[in-house]
Amino acid sequence: MSSQFKQLEKLGNGTYATVYKGLNKTTGVYVALKEVKLDSEEGTPSTAIREISLMKELKHENIVRLYDVIHTENKLTLVFEYMDNDLKKYMDSLTVGNSPQGLELHLVKYFQWQLLEGLAFCHANKILNRDLKPQNLLINKKGQLKLGDFGLARAFGIPVNTFSSEVVTLWYRAPDVLMGSRTYTTSIDIWSCGCILAEMITGKPLFPGTNDEEQLKLIFEMMGMPTEATWPGVSQLPKYAASSASFQQQHPNAALQGPKDLKELLQVNCKEKLDDVVINLLHGLLQLNPDMRLSAKQALHHTWFAEYYQRPTN
Amino acid sequence: MSREVSKTPESVKLESSEDLQKEDSNKPPNYKRISDDDLYRHSSQYRMWSFTENNLRERRKQTNDRAVSMINQQLGKFMEENKSTLTEEETNTLNVKASPLSMEEELQLINFYSKKVQVIAQHLNLPTEVIATSITFFRRFFLDNSVMEYDPKNLVHTTIFLACKSENYFISVDSFAKKAKSTRDAILKYEFKLVESLKFSLLNHHPYKPLHGFFLDIQTVLHGKVDLKYMGQIYDRCKKKITDSLLTDIVYLFTPPQITLAIISLEDEQLISRYLGLKFGKEDATEASKGESDTSIENKEEDEEKEAKPSEEIELNKLLAILADCKDKLEKSLSVTTDEAKRVAAKNYYCQNPSILLQKLKRKLEASNAESPNKKQKVEE
Repeated sequence: MSSQFKQLEKLGNGTYATVYKGLNKTTGVYVALKEVKLDSEEGTPSTAIREISLMKELKHENIVRLYDVIHTENKLTLVFEYMDNDLKKYMDSLTVGNSPQGLELHLVKYFQWQLLEGLAFCHANKILNRDLKPQNLLINKKGQLKLGDFGLARAFGIPVNTFSSEVVTLWYRAPDVLMGSRTYTTSIDIWSCGCILAEMITGKPLFPGTNDEEQLKLIFEMMGMPTEATWPGVSQLPKYAASSASFQQQHPNAALQGPKDLKELLQVNCKEKLDDVVINLLHGLLQLNPDMRLSAKQALHHTWFAEYYQRPTN
Repeated sequence: MSREVSKTPESVKLESSEDLQKEDSNKPPNYKRISDDDLYRHSSQYRMWSFTENNLRERRKQTNDRAVSMINQQLGKFMEENKSTLTEEETNTLNVKASPLSMEEELQLINFYSKKVQVIAQHLNLPTEVIATSITFFRRFFLDNSVMEYDPKNLVHTTIFLACKSENYFISVDSFAKKAKSTRDAILKYEFKLVESLKFSLLNHHPYKPLHGFFLDIQTVLHGKVDLKYMGQIYDRCKKKITDSLLTDIVYLFTPPQITLAIISLEDEQLISRYLGLKFGKEDATEASKGESDTSIENKEEDEEKEAKPSEEIELNKLLAILADCKDKLEKSLSVTTDEAKRVAAKNYYCQNPSILLQKLKRKLEASNAESPNKKQKVEE
């Protein structure tokens, strides 16, 4: 490690590295030091290469900044902007006894706006995050939110179909990916945004599945079972037939197969009164059919955010 | 590039026309729209790897100057150490054959090896974008490093392997080494030096995507007036020419859409002038106001001032002038002959290894000395 930084406590493990808090001794500014071991089997790990390559392009106030890369004998250190906390830890800290608490709605809105701003910038730059989850959303005391950890992100070209389907953390994984679609684009990040929005409102993960089958089951129970009519092409997905059959078996009563009332379900775990506007946005993000999901840019134009975009900027 | 001009396939996918309408009707009054030009100006390719011709020459000069003074120092030291034993002939040979390379000679060698990178990467059956990135990395490395410091031969495989990694084209170092008939150590030795020299800026915007976008748009704008089969043929030829252009300095001087338009124009000048005329000609001011980049890198500073007003109008004449300049430079780019490259490579080797040059000279003298008595004998017989 260069003597410019003093290594402090460990902050956690990233997708391919260990992250420490660090202090820039010259400036007195805190940084996050992401250490990548170079065991030299393959030279510099390609995950690190890709993260560096993407972060170099992504200069945005809602994306954590990569300041520098330092190379020493057997490790590579990525010097990132330091953030006090992540959204997961923050929400955990609000838990009272055993019951999780949602965030205040004005904060939910501010965080969601920033999340979408950062994501829209990624997507405009043709970069997919692929691993959005509260742990990867970094926040600070000023209420800023920034996307962090681009270890699994990648640039996308013309139809992207070579991804492994093992990327996004299960709870935030889109139904098309869960059913084996390999041609997904920005819409997978949007699904994750919807899950995160619901989770900020209630404090509880929206679809906490433990395996692929259960994850799909939870999604279909809430959003309804998709059909060729609601989602053209869905029956062609590798795992559609199996998941549809097991869903019918578990829910033989067709009347109970339709989508549930999201507002009602979320209201149970939210102290403030939810309005239809935020529920409308949520539906736009959580469309089962990826082609029907809003884009990040469209979501930013949603009425729920009117107070931000109607405020004069610059 | 504006959304209209170079709609790349993925943006087609992201924003179908229906979505756009929806978006437009929802668009709040104060919402700032980021144009593709703005995005490109933020890219590391524009910020760090775009130059004026003067900047580029300055940069190479600096690299060359540094290496020349290092080599001269080494040579001076060698002469000093061997002062007592050097013959006049040896000193002469050293002066002629072991002098440092000029900036132009360095460039010849870099150009020669860039072509090698392309040929080897093609031979390895890598995708077009990986090949393009390999060439780009290789040439950027030698902007700041001299061939007298790093033998270009040693970076050929390293750049191709790094390009595979950064373009997400997975191949293990061992299987790469086997295919490329190299070794893991040789490939990885300068990998980090390479990443560092590239200043960790690894994401490239090659002209292939604009090419695709322009072809879609030309077919829309000139609907019914172009033959699709013909368009398919020139598409392939343009793609080849784009790869060739990556072997030149064009990529530092112009933006990817500018290069693309210049290349299509080299194939079919009329096609491009009809297309641009319809697209940006005076009669269609509304279309033009949506703006394609008229910003050449030559005017970088000026651009930055203009950034604030994204809907600047395209001036067709200015754009045509840029394209003419780009075409001119493309046509003037020369390739290096193998003989010329060999000569420079030998010079590069000897200026770094003067003692080997002297050994060679000695062997040559011995050989001719050994030969002459023989000849004499023959005559006497």
